[in-house]
Amino acid sequence: MDFLAQALPDNFWRHQNGSSTLWLWTFIGLVVGIALIFGLMNMPSQMRRPVVVGVTFLSGLFYVLLYFWPAPVARDPGTLPTDLVDKVGFWIEDAVPSVAQFSNILTAFLLGLGIYSVLRIHSRKLIKQQQDWAFSAVLLVCMVLMVIFGYWNWANRISPTGPLLDLQSNWKFQNYAADLLFDGLFQQMNGAMFSIIAFYILSAAYRAFRVRSIEATILLAAALIMMLSLMGSVASFWDGAAGHVSENLTLTSISTWLRDNLQTSSLRSIDFGIGIGALAMGLRLWLSLEKTGAGS
Amino acid sequence: MDYGQIKLTAGVISTIGLYSVLYRENKFYRLFEHIFLGLAVGWGIVALWTETLKSSWWDAMVGSSPDPGAAAASAQPGYWAWILLLPIGLMGYFVFNKKHNWLSRIPIGIILGLWSGQQVQVWFRRYGPNISASMKPLLPTTTSSFGKPDLTGLTPAQVANINAQVYPSQALTNLIFVFTIVSVLSYFFFSFEVKNKVLKFFTTSGRWLLMIGFGAIFGSTVMMRFTLLIDRMYFIWIEWLKHGILHR
Amino acid sequence: MAQAPDKSLGDKLQSLNKTTLFAILFAVTSIPLFFPGMKVPNKPEESTIDLYATLMQLPENSTVLVASDWTDSTRGESGGQFEALFRIMMRRHLKAAIYTTADPQAPQVARDNIASLNEERVAAGQKPYERWNDYVVLGFFPNAEGTAVSIGTNVATAFKGRKDIAPNGISTDVYQSPVLKDIKSTKDLKLVVVLTASSTSTVTIERLSGKVPLAMLVTGVMGPETQVYYSSGQLLGLSKGLKGVYDLETMMEDGVKDYKGAPIPGFPNEKNLGRGSVYYPTLHFALALLIIAVIVGNVGMAMSRRKGQ
Repeated sequence: MDFLAQALPDNFWRHQNGSSTLWLWTFIGLVVGIALIFGLMNMPSQMRRPVVVGVTFLSGLFYVLLYFWPAPVARDPGTLPTDLVDKVGFWIEDAVPSVAQFSNILTAFLLGLGIYSVLRIHSRKLIKQQQDWAFSAVLLVCMVLMVIFGYWNWANRISPTGPLLDLQSNWKFQNYAADLLFDGLFQQMNGAMFSIIAFYILSAAYRAFRVRSIEATILLAAALIMMLSLMGSVASFWDGAAGHVSENLTLTSISTWLRDNLQTSSLRSIDFGIGIGALAMGLRLWLSLEKTGAGS
Repeated sequence: MDYGQIKLTAGVISTIGLYSVLYRENKFYRLFEHIFLGLAVGWGIVALWTETLKSSWWDAMVGSSPDPGAAAASAQPGYWAWILLLPIGLMGYFVFNKKHNWLSRIPIGIILGLWSGQQVQVWFRRYGPNISASMKPLLPTTTSSFGKPDLTGLTPAQVANINAQVYPSQALTNLIFVFTIVSVLSYFFFSFEVKNKVLKFFTTSGRWLLMIGFGAIFGSTVMMRFTLLIDRMYFIWIEWLKHGILHR
Repeated sequence: MAQAPDKSLGDKLQSLNKTTLFAILFAVTSIPLFFPGMKVPNKPEESTIDLYATLMQLPENSTVLVASDWTDSTRGESGGQFEALFRIMMRRHLKAAIYTTADPQAPQVARDNIASLNEERVAAGQKPYERWNDYVVLGFFPNAEGTAVSIGTNVATAFKGRKDIAPNGISTDVYQSPVLKDIKSTKDLKLVVVLTASSTSTVTIERLSGKVPLAMLVTGVMGPETQVYYSSGQLLGLSKGLKGVYDLETMMEDGVKDYKGAPIPGFPNEKNLGRGSVYYPTLHFALALLIIAVIVGNVGMAMSRRKGQ
């Protein structure tokens, strides 16, 4: 069944690549979209919530239908629907990749919000020369450099000579620059940022991890057994010594038993609790019953 | 200095710059923090287009011409309706506008709606097997021995028979497992006051057993964080100094 | 003039200077690295053995869908897991379709790491893992939930419109590559492997569990939580953190003597030991330092309490 499928004759929704009809309809679509924004901006305020609630409900309805509507069984390519239930089921199943594509594109546009926010704050600092504006200038310069060399490198790699760049001997200045910025600087700083927490974990464990209550004692004992079981040399020594007495007294057996029977069950319960909450929250968000949701 | 050494040295200087915050907040750290943020934002701009929007949105909207040397049917038509996603996505940017910031709730509502519509299906797919795996037999099916006997030297039929039985030790372990699940779940009953002694016993036990799960998480987290630090030390001392500079 | 009372031994034990503590950690995580070749005895965990067995028992030329959801922020664990996974896949001639839902940096990190593994293969006189013929990078999918549902419904249309560079340098539809051309439905996927430093493991389980065979390689933080799903049979195998990496490398080096009645070979005379083997001995010293620090703090507290009584 055709649903935004490929290599088919023109119709209202699709036109040949590069054709003037395609560009015309794309432009019309853009104008309609902008007109929609202006229309929404001038809408009476009492209509706002119904619009948001309606959009949220319709979006969620797709996946609810995907789950509850009878799905096509043993469907081969070329199979045609036999009745209305089949037709709707086929349509829903065929729409899944397009809905996923839609959500990926929309999420990508929304991820730009974070980028825009950073740009806004630091541009303002630079233009108004507020405190530490020099750092903002450094940020913006690094951003511009990454954008320039990132795109330049990408453009080289998708060109017909792109596969040659698999060999570093074929690299040009822009490829070196992109590699230095991404792998030489960005990735290493990414690693450094995340590793700083190790120092604070040690400091916090030293200062705050005190055996003051039964709960703290149990937590410390469980953490200790887990850490000892992660140390292969300790586990080997302990297993060797205790193994002569009983297999059940080895560190491996103890930690495995704790993991399979106490750790798994307690974490599973926490998971159940979170899951029930997520299910309830999902329903409330879909029906816009949640005050802090999109429809508030 | 060749390119490899320059690249490694740049990484080491930036790593040390960020580590300087461990001594105290300083301008050297702030410089590298801003470099990091600038590069992150820049890469975000590049990757959102090259890894996502170009193929998912732009190529779908404008189509593509046939590949050189390939059949004409390899040309992809364009679907103009994808352009509508641009204004819908741009509505999200109205969050910065005092008067019209409600418009940003439309794209957010779409994403939240899509997520919440999936929750029924995901709940059963995620927890269904967990629930059935938690239903363990609590009563032993044989008392011929307390624990499972050694299987060495037995025929396959005998092994199958032994494996099908629930021995008292396994029944006891299963009881502890189910007790842990029930008591930890009972700890999260916050909607009414627990006065009954039996319930209190369950909730207190649940709180203690929760600590075992948290202890395991703590131990694993420590392993992970220390590993990240060891990786950075390896980068500085071995990759840069030993291999890169000293060529050993 | 009043003098501040002398600190008792208990108080001194509890008030070690932060800078000193950091310097000790710095030394403890650096010095052992200068003594490579420290071999630590190891008993691989059951979940990692199952992962190794799953990968080793896949038919050659099978397509594995790999969610590579990590960046160099977790290179210590995720990098080691990626190298171990792809060394096995390259040697077993398994094809990889790599996608990511967690971070826009991740596709490039995957490409760079495959490039460095290829350098290793070329240096050993082996054929490199070829882009397009052996692996394709599908890109970044910001909406993990919708993408996972799409894969579970029909993987043959989930990545429609995505292109990768063919050997002729032209961006071509990924479904024309040898990696994906025989994938007509989700049932044709032999395995989906999620290598992640975030909660995309949970997102994948929620939408693909029961639909496709799943295996995971997660960081230490996600380990205990993901263990729950391995215990319930939703995962065929699971590697957790640096211990998981070391387990995989050990098995690649020595094989598995008895797995459900039969041995599983390793890869003799090949480079098997990587980050896991290098970092694992040093981890011992770091963990020992933390245990000692906690003990010292508690001993100090006990001494102070006794003095105060």
